[in-house]
Formats: sequence, C-alpha cells, structure tokens
Amino acid sequence: MKMKKLVGLGLAAMMAFTAVVPAMAEEAAYKIVVMPKLIGIPYFTATGEGAEKAGEELGVEVIYNGPTTADAAEQVKMLEDYITQGVDAICVAPNDAAALDPVLKKAHEAGILVLDWDTEATKDLVDASVHQISDQGLAEHLVDAMVENMGTEEGDWAIITGGLSASNLNAWIGFARDYAAEKYPGLNLVADPYPTDEKQDVALSTAKDILKAYPDVKALFCVSTPAPIGAAQAIREMGLQDKVTVVGTAVKEDCQDVLSDGALDLGCLWNCQDLGYLTVGVAKALLDGATLEADGEITIEGVGTYAIEGEKNIILGPPEDYLAE
Amino acid sequence: MNKMKDLRSRHSSEFTLLLIFVGLFVLMAVLSPDRFMTVNNIKTMAFQMPEFGLMALAMMIAVLTGGINLSITTGATLSTIVAAFILSSEFGKEHPLLCVLVGVVVCMLVAVASGIVNGTIVAYIGVAPMLVTLGTKTLFEGLGLNFTKGGSISGFPELYAEIGNGTLLGIPIPMIIYVIALVACYFLFERSVWGTEVYMIGCNETATRFSGINTKKVLLWVYIYSGILSGIAGILISSRYNSAKTDYGSSYVMQAVSAVVLGGTSISGGHGTVAGTIIAVAIIQVISTGLNILGVNRYIINIITGGILIAVLILRYATKVMDDKKKIKMRAAQGTTK
Amino acid sequence: MGERIKNFTKRKEFGIILIILVLSAILTVMSSAFLKLDNILDFLRSNAVIGIMALGMLPVLISGGIDLSVSSTIAFAAVIIGKFMLAFPNSNPLIVIIVAMVAGGLVGLVNGLIITRFKIPPIVATLGMQTIMLGCVLLYTGGMWISGLPGWWSRFGTFKLGSFPTDIGGTTGVSTQVIIFVFACLITSFILKYTLIGRGIYAVGGSESSAIRVGYNVNKIIVFIYVFSGLMTGLAAATHVSIVGQVDPNTYTGYELDVISTVVLGGASTLGGVGTVFGTILGVVLMAIVKNGLILAKVPTYWQKVAMGLVILIAVSVDIINRKREQAKLVRVDVEE
Repeated sequence: MKMKKLVGLGLAAMMAFTAVVPAMAEEAAYKIVVMPKLIGIPYFTATGEGAEKAGEELGVEVIYNGPTTADAAEQVKMLEDYITQGVDAICVAPNDAAALDPVLKKAHEAGILVLDWDTEATKDLVDASVHQISDQGLAEHLVDAMVENMGTEEGDWAIITGGLSASNLNAWIGFARDYAAEKYPGLNLVADPYPTDEKQDVALSTAKDILKAYPDVKALFCVSTPAPIGAAQAIREMGLQDKVTVVGTAVKEDCQDVLSDGALDLGCLWNCQDLGYLTVGVAKALLDGATLEADGEITIEGVGTYAIEGEKNIILGPPEDYLAE
Repeated sequence: MNKMKDLRSRHSSEFTLLLIFVGLFVLMAVLSPDRFMTVNNIKTMAFQMPEFGLMALAMMIAVLTGGINLSITTGATLSTIVAAFILSSEFGKEHPLLCVLVGVVVCMLVAVASGIVNGTIVAYIGVAPMLVTLGTKTLFEGLGLNFTKGGSISGFPELYAEIGNGTLLGIPIPMIIYVIALVACYFLFERSVWGTEVYMIGCNETATRFSGINTKKVLLWVYIYSGILSGIAGILISSRYNSAKTDYGSSYVMQAVSAVVLGGTSISGGHGTVAGTIIAVAIIQVISTGLNILGVNRYIINIITGGILIAVLILRYATKVMDDKKKIKMRAAQGTTK
Repeated sequence: MGERIKNFTKRKEFGIILIILVLSAILTVMSSAFLKLDNILDFLRSNAVIGIMALGMLPVLISGGIDLSVSSTIAFAAVIIGKFMLAFPNSNPLIVIIVAMVAGGLVGLVNGLIITRFKIPPIVATLGMQTIMLGCVLLYTGGMWISGLPGWWSRFGTFKLGSFPTDIGGTTGVSTQVIIFVFACLITSFILKYTLIGRGIYAVGGSESSAIRVGYNVNKIIVFIYVFSGLMTGLAAATHVSIVGQVDPNTYTGYELDVISTVVLGGASTLGGVGTVFGTILGVVLMAIVKNGLILAKVPTYWQKVAMGLVILIAVSVDIINRKREQAKLVRVDVEE
C-alpha cells in the first residue's frame, strides 16, 4: 500500500515539475521554430534574443530552442517533434547539413516552410537562407585583415579553430586557405588547424605551444569566438604584441581587454541580434506570401530592405570589425 | 493470482518503472492532447527510440559486469565512417543492394574489432574498463577524424536510407530491428549460460574465476557484444541522418548511463534486467518528446531528467527499507506464534 | 645504492615514471623547446586546474566512489565568483577564493548527503547533480561570459614569482596557479597521510564493513570526501578564472572525464582503496606532457587524438602489467620460502 502512495507522491512531484511549462500563446499568427546549433552559448543566446524580439514586434510566436550539445542527432529528433507538433516555419542552423536532409524533406512534405540560417543546409531543401555574410566573404576579409596587420605579405601563419568537426568553421578555414594560397603566395601555413575544444584556456596554451614549436610564426588566424581571446592572452604573456598578429571572430564585449594593448589586432563578428531578428522577419514575410526573386530585393518589417544573392540567399551585411580604440 | 503476485514481487522495480512510464505518458497526453497522442507522434517516437535504446543496451551489458563502456558512440561512428566509404562509392550507384549489404557487414566488422580492442585490454591485461574505454573513445574519435578530416560523408544509396526511415507493414524498420535486438538480449543475458556467467562476474569476479569459468573469455565477449549493439545503433543513426560523421550521437553516452541506472541495473554490476532498461529508455523518450512538444527549454528537460533519476533511486531505497521492515515484522510475528 | 634503485623500481609509481621519462626523452629529441624551464612552467600552469580537481577527486576514488558532478560544480563556482567580483569590486583575491571554495563545498555537501542518506551509488547521484547543476547554471547565465573583472584580479592571475629569461626574449616565473597547485598538493597529502579521517578514507575504500567494525563513522567520512572534492573544485574554479580573466560557463564540459582519467593514470583504482598524491601529480604531469608535446613535436593535428588515446591505453596497460609481474614475483618468493 505504502508503495502505491510513494508512486503517487512521485507522480505528484512530476506534475509540479511540469508546472514550469510555459503557457502557449494562442493568438499569434504563425508559429515559427528557430533552432540554433545549441543553446547556452553567448552567440546563440544573442541570436535568440533577436529572434524573440522579432516575435514580439511582428506578432508571431517564436520557439527558440535547440540541443544542449552541438550534436546533429539531437537536432534531428527535436525537429521531428516540432514537425509532429505542427508549426508554420522551421529555421535551422544545422550542425551538419547532410544529417538534416531526411528531416527537412519530411518538413517539406508536411507543408512547413524551411529556412536555414547561420550555417547552410542542403540548398535544394530550403525555401530561403539567411546568412550573416557568405562564408567566403568572411574568410577573405579575415585573411586580408591579417595580412594588413602583419605589414608584410610573407611569413608563417597558423590556424586555431574551435573544433575539427565544426562544419562552418571548416568552411571558413577552407576558403581562407585557398584564398591565402592564391592571393598571398608568400604566406606559409605551418600546419593543419589546431583544435581548441571551444575553450579559451586551451586556445591560450595551444597558441603558446604553437609559437614554441614554430618560432617564426607571424600570425595566428582564429575561428570560434573564445579562440582569438585565448591566443591574444598567450601573445600578451609572451610579450609578443608587436611581433605576432592575431585576428579572429570574437564577441565585441568579450574582446575589449585583449584589444587594448594590441595583443588582439582585430576581432570581427556580425550583429548577432540582428541575425536572429532577420531570420524571423524573412520567415514571416514568406509566410505572408512574399516571393523571392533571384538577385532581387526583399523588404522585411522592422529591419529594412535586403538584397537577394543568387536564388534565395539573404545576406545580413558586412561584419563589424573591432579594433583597439 | 498467486503467480501474478509472485511475478509482481519479483519484478517490483520494473513495475514501479512501468507505473512511472504510464503516469508520464498520461500526463503528457493530458498536457497536449491534440499533439502528443497522435499516430504521427507515436510513430516519430518509434523512429527515435531504437538508436538510443540500442546504445543503452550496449552500455548495460558492460555495466552488468561492473564495467562501463564510454566508447560506444565513437566506436559506432568509426564503424559507420568506414562503411560510409563503401556506401558512398561508385559501386553503390551500380549495385545498391550488394553495396548496402557489404556496407553493413563492414560496419559490423569494425564494430566487432572495436569490441575486441576494448575487451582484450579489459579482460586480458586487466585495466579498469572506465579507463580503457576512455582511451579508446579518444582513439576511435581520432581515427574517425583522420578519415573524414572533420567533415561528414554522405551520398548513400536510397536503399540504405530505408533501414532507418522505412516502414514494414506500417511498423518503422528501426523499431523492428530494436525489438529483435531486445529479444536476443533477453535470451542472451537472462536465459543463457553465458548470461549467467556475465551476471556472476558482476557479482564477484574472483569467485567466478575460481569456480572454473573462463572469465577473461566471457569479458571479451561482453565488450564485443557491446560493440555489436552500438554498431547496429550506428547503422540506424547513419541511415536516419543519411551521412556519417565523428560526433553524431555524442550526447548518448551519459544518457545511456542514466537510462541503464534508471532501469535498475546496479552500477557495480551483477543486477539488472533488459526489461528495466527498455522501460527506462521509453521514460526518457516520453519526457524528451513530451516536453519538446510543449516547447520547454532543453536545459529544463535535462534538469527534469536528472531530477527523476535521483527521485526514482530515492524511491527505490525507501521501498527497500520499508520492505525490510515488513519482513522483520513478519518474521517477528512468526516467531511469537511458534 | 643498488638497494635503493631496486626499491625504487618496486614502487607502485615506477611504471608511470618510466613512461614519463621515455616520453620526455623522445620529445626532447624531437623539439628543442620541450625541456626548457619556461615550457615546463607553462604546462604546469595550464594544467593546474585539472591538477587541483584531480587532488579533490583522489580521496573520492580511494573511497571507492566517483564524482561526476565536478564539471558542473566548477562552472557553478566560477559563475558565483564572477558575479561576486562584479558586485564587490573592492574585494580581494583571498576572499574570492574562499567564496569559490564555499560554493563548491556546498555542492559537495549535497552530493555527500544524497549518497549517505539514501544509499544512492555515487556515480548516479553525481551524474544527476551534474545534469541538474549545469542546466541551472546555463539557464541562469544563458551561457553569457562574465567579463570586466576588477584589475586586482588580473594582476593576481598574471603574477609570477621570480624572473627567469626565456628563449623568445621575455621572462618567466612561477605563476600564481602553480603555487596554488603546490599548496593543494601539500594539504591533500597531509590529510591523507596524517589525519584520522585520511586513514579512514583508505579504510572505507578497502572494505566498508571492516571500516565500520574498526569504529570509523563511515557516513561522516563519505560526506567529508565529497565536501573536500567540492572545496577543491571551487579552488580550481578560482584558479581557472584567474588564468582566463573571465567566466565562460560552457568551458567546463567534459572536465569530469579528464580529471578522473588523470587520477586513475596516477595509479588510483576506480575500485577504491589505493591512490597517492604523488601518483596523482605524476598523472597530471603525464597528461600535460602529452598535450604539450604533441604540438611541440609537430604531430599532425588529425593524428593528435589518436596519439592521445594510444598513450593513455599504453600507459595504463604498462602500469597494470608491471604491477602484475611484481605480484607474481611476490607469490613466487612466498612459495620458495
């Protein structure tokens, strides 16, 4: 008997748990899922703020949710659940494009509008793409900035990345390598990219080790937001601010300190809030019946008019550069 | 009636779990009646559960011996990456059926090899399983990275996608594979001589060895079997996602440990049932899907899962204490009447 | 002298020392930068955090338990001190360290109480705590970094004792983090060797029922162990924040496995009863050398994980084989005598 009571107690506790479930807004015009690669990191928290702001201002219900690790398997499961739930649009930043093919097909069959944002999904399966800047554009911009800060077009350089299997970072690195090899033949990449596990302290020790292994390295090219900060700290601790250039993608607030003494030469990123906002805006415009004309323009409520690149790419605009003041 | 009672008392822990599962299921159905209790949603869950369930079983067999296998996911992805080279080759476009068969066989061979590596070091050298599999986890991931350079391999024959996405008589194929694996596990673990030996090792390895059982051989097979199960999970994953990559399913390792323990398997080995594990897997699936449909933040879902894990164990402890008290009372009563 | 060497080779740690020496020799040949004072001080500094956590984990493993919650505990403590420093910019490093240790210690207390009151296996209790705590930390912070910490904190973090010239031109010294690590080693060693509770930890790990019979209050000892692990993790949080200068709540995922493998590499057993501070230090040094050496020796990036996995497997296997041989020898001596 007591056993049953205990079970009852347990169930009551679970009921209490679910009391935290947010109430559903029923009056919203559309239900739009915006899925980042993962939640709980600054970049995707900021894009989420933008997406939710857009939801409030444009009168649509935005569900901003994603897995807790950057695992494509988790993303697929969550998307399947949302398709079952019945939503109007799915905007996803894929952890891996190929892995999402089947689930995006399923979404199409269910009549759901599919967008990719931040990172590209398979092009045939999306109705529109919202991106900060083309992968190639960012990579070339960073390489140019690196060479400019080096003050020479010759010398050794190394790449520090967040993780070896992050597809967007790999895309940037791929373009950067090709571009550097073609435009700056004097540059010599010393080794394959060094992974840092998205950790600042690992970037710090890795950067130090790289400079010890290759004392002639003149520039560190960092992708993933904690990497340039860690690398810059290494430069500062070794007192090499004037000898080694560090450029990379970084969040503005977090890189101010290392910019101040020239340890970091240039940080660069786009406005994350705007990216989230624009994604929701485009989804709503398309749900309202707007169509994309190749190389045309599209006006989005609340943010402005954007050019369409190719058939369905909507580009947020050039990144913001952060320099020492 | 008595038989029923006997069954219940022998499997009280599974019954509690089943009650929790039913309770949660009803709760979710009540919270979102128009979305949770739909054929579509049940089907989606039936597609999602097998890969995780197989991982949990792969973990369970290692835990039964008092060990652990942290390399299940990277072993699985390494196997599928090797197979992916065959599946995505030109050969696959000409002979899809043959290619898929060869791919599956190769995948299983690599999975067996990964099991042999784990098993040999655990059984014949005698290193702690946690450390061995932590090492092989890194090793397999490293090999996978080398083959793919961090990217993913895709472009498999349509036929391969059927394994993870197709249905047979309306039942999802992954579910069929899962059920077959479950039955096989049940007979292997709980009804075979080998299974008994596995449980014995979990209780007391030294005593088992001195009773004339070749514990090393049994342990080796435990890790091979664990590798095979995770390899099958790997096939489902790569087929459902139509590609192979080193970090697919990386979140399953700790989830699998949770499911196994929630299912009543003792982490020090020797106790646990297949039924308990699959009910625990179903519980985690229902929580995850149900709260997802409600739009609950993923971290809150994690917190709730962690809370349930601890709550169930406290419950189990409390019932055990009460049972013991009852038994003492009964014995005392019997003593006085005599 | 010969006798001494013989005794040395019989030590439990001999296997790992041998591996460290062989690896160091190889690395010294492959890279001129490896065996330099600044490099050694650097890798000690960057591994101090894992080292301090490993010292906290050591008593847990000796007792036959495990603490998987450390990765969330360190995130929790780091966020607490981050917020604390922003709220009290006129504080000082010592208070910050105390705050971090109290925060970590509280988590340890909860762990210890769950484990002893409800008899839940440590691996389950701490796994549950890990998920719950990380969820809470990331829900609260949204994963946002806490930056703009006071100037005295970054001075504390970059302070160096002594000044030795380096090859590249700058100077180096013994950093705060290394000093904290040494301090943590001394304390742990003292507790394990010279206190009643320390001996009790070994007794519990050897055999819990015998420990009870001898008169130890086992529950009290177990609670102490997890509190100690929490305190050390808190100290590690302060150490980590002092290196990076800001708090990134996400950076600690996966630490628990790093820490546990370090301690086990150092000769502790997950089955309990054995483990020493000296062995743990060797474990830390071995992991540090591998991580640092792979880059210095210019091992291609994609092979580094493979090499890492192989080194772990070889190290533990050699260690076990070595120990087995010693045991076999002892048995033979017994028979012959």
